[in-house]
Amino acid sequence: MTPLATSRAASHAGDDSKAATAPRADCVADSAGGLTFDVTDPGGAGAKDTVHLLLRRRDADSAEDYVRLPLSPSADGRLRAALPSSVELAEGRWNAYAQVAGGEPRRLMPGVNDLRSLVDRAPSGSRGHVAVRIPYATKQGNLSVRSWLRAPHAEAGELGLAGAALTVHGRLYGTALTEAAYAEAVRRAEPGLVRRAEVTAEGPEFTFGLDQGPLADSGPGPWDLWLLPAGESGPRVRVARLLDDVADKKTIFTYPVVRRETPHGAVEVGPYYTNDNDLAVRVRRAGAGTETSTEGSTES
Amino acid sequence: MHISFLIHNAYGIGGTIRTTYNLANTLAQQHDVEIVSVFRHRDEPVFAPDPRVRLSHLVDTRKDSPGYEGEAPEHLRPARTFPSAEGRYAQYSALTDRRIAAHLAALDADVVVGTRPGLNVHIARQTARGPLRVGQEHLTLDSHSKELRRQLRSVYPRLDVLTTTTEADARAYSRKMRLPGVHVQALPNPVPAPGIEPADGSHKWVVAAGRLAPVKRYDLLIRAFDKVRRERPDWRLRIYGSGRQKEKLRALIDELGLYNHVFLMGAAHPIEPEWAKGSIAAVTSSLESFGMTIVEAMRCGLPVVATDCPHGPGEIIANGVDGRLVEVGNPDAIASGLLELINDDSLRHRMADAALQDSERFDPVRIAERYDAMFTGMITQGSSLGGRLRGSLHRTRGALLGGAYAVRDLGRVQTKGSTA
Repeated sequence: MTPLATSRAASHAGDDSKAATAPRADCVADSAGGLTFDVTDPGGAGAKDTVHLLLRRRDADSAEDYVRLPLSPSADGRLRAALPSSVELAEGRWNAYAQVAGGEPRRLMPGVNDLRSLVDRAPSGSRGHVAVRIPYATKQGNLSVRSWLRAPHAEAGELGLAGAALTVHGRLYGTALTEAAYAEAVRRAEPGLVRRAEVTAEGPEFTFGLDQGPLADSGPGPWDLWLLPAGESGPRVRVARLLDDVADKKTIFTYPVVRRETPHGAVEVGPYYTNDNDLAVRVRRAGAGTETSTEGSTES
Repeated sequence: MHISFLIHNAYGIGGTIRTTYNLANTLAQQHDVEIVSVFRHRDEPVFAPDPRVRLSHLVDTRKDSPGYEGEAPEHLRPARTFPSAEGRYAQYSALTDRRIAAHLAALDADVVVGTRPGLNVHIARQTARGPLRVGQEHLTLDSHSKELRRQLRSVYPRLDVLTTTTEADARAYSRKMRLPGVHVQALPNPVPAPGIEPADGSHKWVVAAGRLAPVKRYDLLIRAFDKVRRERPDWRLRIYGSGRQKEKLRALIDELGLYNHVFLMGAAHPIEPEWAKGSIAAVTSSLESFGMTIVEAMRCGLPVVATDCPHGPGEIIANGVDGRLVEVGNPDAIASGLLELINDDSLRHRMADAALQDSERFDPVRIAERYDAMFTGMITQGSSLGGRLRGSLHRTRGALLGGAYAVRDLGRVQTKGSTA
């Protein structure tokens, strides 16, 4: 049917036999946060068999952490399932399977992920929450869906850096900024250690400046960034970057570091995105390496 | 027609491999096609051959395979037929010499196609009387060392056909190599239609894709984008690919303060959905032997701003119509080219439409038709002249089987093929 040299797998990490036989799903994202899955050859399905797309949250141990979506024949002979934005998907990583009748679920391989409508997303925020689902290929070459569900949500945009001064521009969803708004950096290892920053607001847009110098002076270890749009009495909102097509920001959205001499020795300080795409400030010993140092893994 | 491709390694990833599968799979709709891989280092090929294409290998280098020959004494002795100045020489051996020679001596085909210089040498010297001997050059003549050119010059005249990927390179071979009696023809690489909708031109992103290698000159692109964002801070740049230049490019982005505008995305497979997220593609190489990414981007509906480097870009892009050619090595010229398309939405959309249309000429069906017509023409010519020196019964039979109907029918059958 296809005369073209399409790659057998989106990732070549999977073992060969699996790559040749595993069912494959193409995903299309819509700008509202919904996903459509088109599954090719789930294997062994008769015409009357019911076939489901199964999403299972990684490390799930309760029944609520499964989502079963019916797969129905579509015009091009594949099977289609829709995950509308109205179906709640708890925050986390969801592995995707195809399941024929009552058989064993078979892990899906990623095909073509058309995520163009997720690029530069600007949802209305009118529902009071922001839901993000990004399909991606795992290191093993399988299909998973990364989900975020935030109510409210503080989306990080451009970051400004001038020496140790960090400026964060962003947009708030699901609640309003008041005169009492402020931001804070919290040392992850010592949640009692907090640095506060003033916020300026224009409608839902916010800006705050943070001197990273004092953070560095506390020694190695990350600081998490929070927005308190209504001051102490209101919600604490994690600052994160979620509204695009990039499932893992950490290695792509990277920023310069500043070297600083401290009582703990020379350190490097700079903003980064965590494994959950939350914005944080990293402080580590100068020359500790960039991405894969052991310290990096504790900074998730 | 029975068409036999000879390739270094059909089980790997790479431009020549993908191109060969695209061509072989399409030709297989009408012809008997096989791909013979000199080496096999894994069980399954990365790219999927059409079920009608037969795939075989000559030397097994899978360590866990009972047929493993990677450490056979004969494989440790240097090759004599395979030219010593060829880039892959170190991987070839007395064993590959013998296996390839035996394969070519026994080959019962109408056409044999070599896919790199060293294999073209084997084909020129060792093919039994009968098959049309076709050598493909995927790199340019200029990129071959002087010594390799010398080694090829003495052997290439024994080919029937030499193909290049550009007209400019075909002229270079005709002019510099003296190939009397060899039909030299430019045939571009096939690029399939993407399995997704083309870009709609609304996203304010410039996209580039390729290995992060010095020849791609992404440093120039990043410097050019520094100018672009001063005028249009709402536009940003994504560069897809991996490679040794990554840390250098990362440092340049940080040095210029472009970390909100320029992103190193890493490698993406498949790349088509990533093109579709952009509205302009950029190619800033100092050298493109063909320019596969230009065609890929155009097939996804992106106009390409490309340096007018040797050889590919100028033969793919109609300057000012479906893209923009700019001076090589000049970041100001690259920035101007990008800004021209960024600042004029209607021009950009017009060029995008033209890019979609003009890039259809690279569809595998169209390229396979051209190969088919060339093979048929050469074979018919050979037999109608009462058999050129190398003419044979096989070739005459091939002409009858592969002749008139094939070229005509190919397009009709092929358009049904899905691109998924």
